[in-house]
Amino acid sequence: MSAQLELKHINKNFGGLRVINDLSFVAQPGQITSLIGPNGAGKTTLLNLISGIYQPDDGDILFDGVSIVGLEPHEITQRGIARTFQTLRLFLNMSIIENVMSASFSRAQMNLIDIVFRTPRFRREEQRLRNEAEEKLGFFGSRLVGYRFDQPAYSLSYANRRRLEIARAMMTNPKILLLDEPAAGMNPNETLEVTALIGQLRDEAGYTIILIEHDMSVVGGISDHVIVLDHGEKIAEGDFEDVVTDERVVEAYLGRKSS
Amino acid sequence: MTEQRIGTDEWVEQHEARLATQSELRELVYGFGEQLPLWGRLGLLLLIGLFVPVLTSNPFHIRIAATIALMATLGVGLNVVVGYAGLLDLGFVAFYGIGAYAYAYLSSDFTGVHLPTLLTIPLITVLGAVVGFLLGLPSLRLVGDYLAIVTLAFGQIFVQLMTSLTRVDLSWVPFLTTDGPVNLTRGPNGIIELDSISIFGFVADTLTENYIIRLVVLILVLLFVHHLNNSRLGRAWRAMREDELAAEAMGMPTRLLKLQAFAIGAAIAALAGTLFAAEQKAVFPANFDVTLLITLYGVVVLGGLGSLPGVLLGAVIMIAVPEILRDIELASLLFYVGSVVALIGLIKPRRLVGLLLLNVAIIGLLVQVIAESIWPDSLAELPSVASVFPEFSVSIRFVTAIIDSLPEIVTSIVRNWLAIPVGNQELIGNIALAILIVLILIASRIKQTTQLLITLVPTMYLLALVWEIRLSGQESVTRLIFVGVVLIVLMIYRPHGLLGTQRIEIV
Ligand SMILES: Nc1ncnc2c1ncn2[C@@H]1O[C@H](COP(=O)(O)OP(=O)(O)O)[C@@H](O)[C@H]1O
Ligand SMILES: [Mg+2]
Repeated sequence: MSAQLELKHINKNFGGLRVINDLSFVAQPGQITSLIGPNGAGKTTLLNLISGIYQPDDGDILFDGVSIVGLEPHEITQRGIARTFQTLRLFLNMSIIENVMSASFSRAQMNLIDIVFRTPRFRREEQRLRNEAEEKLGFFGSRLVGYRFDQPAYSLSYANRRRLEIARAMMTNPKILLLDEPAAGMNPNETLEVTALIGQLRDEAGYTIILIEHDMSVVGGISDHVIVLDHGEKIAEGDFEDVVTDERVVEAYLGRKSS
Repeated sequence: MTEQRIGTDEWVEQHEARLATQSELRELVYGFGEQLPLWGRLGLLLLIGLFVPVLTSNPFHIRIAATIALMATLGVGLNVVVGYAGLLDLGFVAFYGIGAYAYAYLSSDFTGVHLPTLLTIPLITVLGAVVGFLLGLPSLRLVGDYLAIVTLAFGQIFVQLMTSLTRVDLSWVPFLTTDGPVNLTRGPNGIIELDSISIFGFVADTLTENYIIRLVVLILVLLFVHHLNNSRLGRAWRAMREDELAAEAMGMPTRLLKLQAFAIGAAIAALAGTLFAAEQKAVFPANFDVTLLITLYGVVVLGGLGSLPGVLLGAVIMIAVPEILRDIELASLLFYVGSVVALIGLIKPRRLVGLLLLNVAIIGLLVQVIAESIWPDSLAELPSVASVFPEFSVSIRFVTAIIDSLPEIVTSIVRNWLAIPVGNQELIGNIALAILIVLILIASRIKQTTQLLITLVPTMYLLALVWEIRLSGQESVTRLIFVGVVLIVLMIYRPHGLLGTQRIEIV
């Protein structure tokens, strides 16, 4: 099995502060690779590096064996790596369906002529994308469908916003989904549900998933592989059970429990 | 929680209630508009537009309508750049100028080139897009203030170049034989005697013909931009305006999208420039100065960024209102009607407005009676109200008709309710103005209805007094003050513009 995503000796500094320190890891296709670690460990920074929002100081990131370092974020997304944000970044004043449809921009088969003259191809393509967006939203049960399609995103509850972000990321047709704390701010029920959903995303939709999560019940339930970060370094890696009993991991968590 | 309200928390509900009360005007326009298909709406616009020359043959009125059509076209273009893509482009007018000058070069004896209109106009529109693209290429790496500064400089440089390129040494150009420096632009004297627009032998010589061409172009541009906005391009622009980073992360090439918006805006501006030049039959550098830029931003912001009906409304207000205000009687009418409308918006329940106006009238008459008994012969004729009644221009004849049909007593009350002292009117006006400002400040603090009404009675009286003796006599000042006040008040009550949607920022 060849790696879907491979990070090689990644370093990242912010004005002298070393946030990622010589980090290497591999994510296998069709698996859920979880990144855990205390607050400030550098997990979000890592996602920003993979999705091209930051550039690594050195090291390389390979997607299906090809380096994606130096590409612009939209190019990386078009190649098949989509993400959600820890601090939700929805298009709040757009409707729910538009939020999702907007993420299909680069896949839409239409040019300026089609748009201006409303050619049959334009109509066909709009309809196809809308159907696809409705399908993605249908993944979350009845919460985001029907009358909801045309409501503005700001009218959604926190948990539904998180779901909408996942649907939007799915609309880019990714191979890899990067999920940054998808259960943050959810109640225990919602957390259970989102855990099951991430499992489904792997098993039914076939995504390779890189999951950042604080909630150990989420991580323990579905991870195929767990990587523990502390101070930008990988301090442990392996099965969930192995990792949580690791001495350094326990220390890293207990040492700074307050976060 | 019922099924219907899933995911709607308290904040959202409150917000929706707020939105509902604030967007009555928007609902009115859109509610009506949505019942019509797009072609119906544009057809209606065409019909209304064509009605203007039928209704009036007064060249002054047609000139206003033609200016509105042109400014609306420009506004639609600027709206793509500022409203959809969120780019603060202060060089927009330069593209308009480029279009106008390009038309001059391709259709005048100055260059000796006389291309057919049907070739010139598309060519210049494409040229506008290309220049916009080239200017955008380096500058769209800049954000916010920097982009504004660079584009503002571009706009100024354009005017400067057109003014000063009168003695250019072209001897270095190969295959070009010139004797001495060449006059490229004729400077402030402009390029004159341009060809009229001519399509299949039909030559648009008159103002009315040009107006109709502008109207048709406006409608085509509206259709074009509407279609762009309702496609993946429009979705991406809106997404980018909401959250640029998220848009980029969702696969939207934000820099290219900005560039496209910039170029499309520039193309529309250049297109409008050709229409302007062809009608004026001349181009001068002074046609493209900052005043126009301010007006255009007024058009787009007043109507509501990102709203096409808003641009139309904005153009009508920004162009028509200052023209109307040239006429002192109309200005007075607008002033009084405006004050009453403002009161209606301010006072709830609204029936109290009638009571308030009655009180203002009574106070006015009392003051009049008292003043006349204490200082007879010291009251002046009311300058503007008195003159409002005799003659109105044809366009609002019905108002005069209504007033004529009122009983004598009402007319005399209206004429006499304000006591205008003779003497140093400027001083009296200034004192009144100072008191007025204090009163308005007090009134704005009062929450209780009765107290508010009591404060508003003298406020209204003073407002009228200040208008009559201080403002109504000075035409140009009045116009400026008026436009400024209208804009400020609007921005306070509707920061999202008349027909814009209020945007939400919550984390
Ligand atoms: N753009 C930035 N500039 C400076 N410091 C940053 C920036 N982004 C993240 N950091 C720092 O990097 C460290 C790791 O942050 P982050 O990746 O958000 O942690 P995590 O997601 O694991 O909680 C923190 O100390 C944070 O302050
Ligand atoms: Mg984080």
